[in-house]
Amino acid sequence: MRPGPLFALPVAVFLAVGFAMPILIVAWYSLMAPRTFDLTTVFTLANYRAAFTEGYGQPFFWSLGLAALTTLTCLLIAWPTAKVLHAHAGRVATIATALVALPIFVSESVRLFGLSLFLMPGGGIFAGSMRALFGVSIGTILNTKFAVYLGMVYIHLPFMLFPVLLGVALIPPDRVEAARDLGAGRWQVLREIELPLALPGLVIGSLLTFVLCIGANAEAAILGGRAITVVTTAIEQRFNYAQDWPMGAALTMLMIAVTAAVVFPALARVDLNRLIRR
Amino acid sequence: MIRRLGLVWLTALIALMYLPILSVILASLSTSRYMRFPHRQWSTGAYVDAVSQDQTWILHATSFKIAALVAVLSLILATFGAMAFARYDWRGRSWFQKAVVLPIFFPQPVLGLALLLFLTAIGVTPSWRSAVFAHMVWILPIVTLVISIRLFGYDPAQEDAARDLGATRWQTFREVTLPHLAPGMVSGGLFAFLLSWSNLPLSIFTTGADTTLPEYMFTRVATNYAPVISAIAVIATLGSVALGLVLLLALRLRRRS
Amino acid sequence: MPDTGADAPPALSLSGLSRSFGDTRALDDVSLDIREGEFFTVVGPSGSGKTTLLRILAGLDRPTAGTLHLRGRDIAGLPPNKRPTAMVFQSLALFDHRSVGENVAFALKMRGVGAEARRTKALELLDLVRLPRDYHDRPVTQCSGGERQRVALARALASDPEILFFDEPLSALDYRLRKTLEVELRDLQKRTGRTFVYITHSLEEAMVMSDRIGIMRDGRLVQVGDPATIYGRPRDRFVARFMGEVNVFEIAGGRLPAFDAPAPAQDGWLIVRPEALAPDAGDVQFDATVTDIYRLGSRVQMHLDTAAGTLIAELPASTRLAEGDAARFGFAVADTHRVAE
Repeated sequence: MRPGPLFALPVAVFLAVGFAMPILIVAWYSLMAPRTFDLTTVFTLANYRAAFTEGYGQPFFWSLGLAALTTLTCLLIAWPTAKVLHAHAGRVATIATALVALPIFVSESVRLFGLSLFLMPGGGIFAGSMRALFGVSIGTILNTKFAVYLGMVYIHLPFMLFPVLLGVALIPPDRVEAARDLGAGRWQVLREIELPLALPGLVIGSLLTFVLCIGANAEAAILGGRAITVVTTAIEQRFNYAQDWPMGAALTMLMIAVTAAVVFPALARVDLNRLIRR
Repeated sequence: MIRRLGLVWLTALIALMYLPILSVILASLSTSRYMRFPHRQWSTGAYVDAVSQDQTWILHATSFKIAALVAVLSLILATFGAMAFARYDWRGRSWFQKAVVLPIFFPQPVLGLALLLFLTAIGVTPSWRSAVFAHMVWILPIVTLVISIRLFGYDPAQEDAARDLGATRWQTFREVTLPHLAPGMVSGGLFAFLLSWSNLPLSIFTTGADTTLPEYMFTRVATNYAPVISAIAVIATLGSVALGLVLLLALRLRRRS
Repeated sequence: MPDTGADAPPALSLSGLSRSFGDTRALDDVSLDIREGEFFTVVGPSGSGKTTLLRILAGLDRPTAGTLHLRGRDIAGLPPNKRPTAMVFQSLALFDHRSVGENVAFALKMRGVGAEARRTKALELLDLVRLPRDYHDRPVTQCSGGERQRVALARALASDPEILFFDEPLSALDYRLRKTLEVELRDLQKRTGRTFVYITHSLEEAMVMSDRIGIMRDGRLVQVGDPATIYGRPRDRFVARFMGEVNVFEIAGGRLPAFDAPAPAQDGWLIVRPEALAPDAGDVQFDATVTDIYRLGSRVQMHLDTAAGTLIAELPASTRLAEGDAARFGFAVADTHRVAE
């Protein structure tokens, strides 16, 4: 066997067992009769029909809407941040980049926990400080949809920031200078030069953020109270409380389909080798 | 002017990012059963409680076992994977590359659910062992990418040169290939450990009766708040942050050389 | 001075070597004897199969057919680490994670030579390739382009190889550095008396350094000879053109139709080098108009518009001809060379 395929084998086998097989099993379960626990060869589309008729639209709508909104927000925050980081060479940029990167290694449950402590009404860090310092009592946004959105942006910003930073690094400074020399204004430089050149990073960052957000459920659980039921929570309820595995599996398959519809076209446009080589 | 504005923006952003983490630290410095900030009595009692509880150490041990195994196993497999990803040019490589990155672009809770269903279907009772497997599905591709980055800057003729100068295949691997990969493997291993240590969405569905630190915090936050939770969160985070700093430093040093 | 005479036993004997990649024959039936102690250069355009040939000689690739003998010993089946040869790679392939000394002494380490002996030998080799001794402990990444060349050379010499192979190692360097290293390499080869096999696409490089040159085209070795022979008596139009800009005239029926003059043969092609053309000289003469002049230092090259098309002439820089001048040019048939194809 040639070295390429030989070296690929362990990872390929592992992902076949750990990634492809589970998805196949879920697909299989999704075609079983409702509320059964065995895998048989009697297939039915009943679960998919139920998925479209029994009010699962709401969780899908919230998850996708929140994911889109979060992705857009993160992109808008990440672009200027990446530009600033890229413009400052040396010590400042190093420390700032490290500080921005570090939260990735702090568990999201700790960070969301912290955010809830901060936002807590009455004795929370923010409300408590306001009362102690200024004597004002303020309400809270905890347990609202806005809190969930805030948490999503907070958790996922680093995942957007680093690909965008890579993307910004793909812009050769002389191209910007050339464009300015040829009479392009700041806005035209952004639209004609910077955004197209940084596109691979923007695509990867947006993709990563969007996909992570579609599945996100911890934000809603910790910050949202009962304000939102996201799709992952809806699926989990099917599995656990309702004990309806085939229904949960069908919803999972729909989510995978939505994700694939977003990921595949975008990923096909990005040359991974080029981005990684940076 | 614009430069200064940029720094203000950066400082504000970083401050906001650390506010929640700071909040956990502030909350941990009290023993009051209810969260009432500012604390009437500041104390480190919660830490004493946390350290004296067996549960704290069981949680740490579980998380550590999983993270360490994930790191070691991912590292071994990913080193092979990276060779196929970036070192050799072979038919099917672009398919392999796409397949490897796919799990990264997959919603983790969905992956967790799918793995749970899979484990049940093949008759495996979920435990910390199955969590190792689950974490690896997501982390192995990331480590493969991290090591591949290192290989893209590699001149394969070095291996020919070593062979030409009398090195056997094994000597070539030990003297040339491995030293070149080593920095990538160090950061890959650290990445794997840290990502596993802090992972919540995969652990929730695949640890069964065992509980990791992020899971514990997730389940206790909403329901039974106590300062000791904050203390445990701080202890659990300190180690990973220190390790994270080591990683960033290693990456930084590598870029400079 | 090593014996480079034709009666010396061949250092390397290639017979019918071929290498196919799928349907393409990268190397097609190459037979050649490389003599002990000679500087042999294989020249060819890119894709002519010269790198494939060198990789087979070094053991980094296997021939699909043919035999390969080193001093009479069959080495076709030996892996590269078992061959008493060493190569200087095109990319140099220096071990970037190692110091200069560690690079140089790599072959010795592979043989289990002790650290002290390795150091002594490495320092000697640094002297040989004219690198300062204090480079020994320097990271190889801190060396300049020319220094890296020397490290690569010293590294190859360390294994005390019977034959050294060079895969266009100078191609990435600037002109002046390349010239200096060409002379040094030739000098080193003479001092050490070793057999060097060098490949390059630059004929200039080959002419400066080699005892003999082999020209490759489409996987075949089309002509082997010393530089003067290859230059003066190319085997065909391809070799002639490869050796530099030449004027080529068709011969038909014992005459040169372009000038309506008698030819030295019945048919074929007449190769006329630019320096063979001169104003008011030779036995074949024609009217010409100077269209362009390029100064090459002590000589000038000019393009001539003639009845036979655009011709190239090379004259001493002292010529009084200027662009636009009309003159009568000519060449002596004795200074030309006829090829069959």
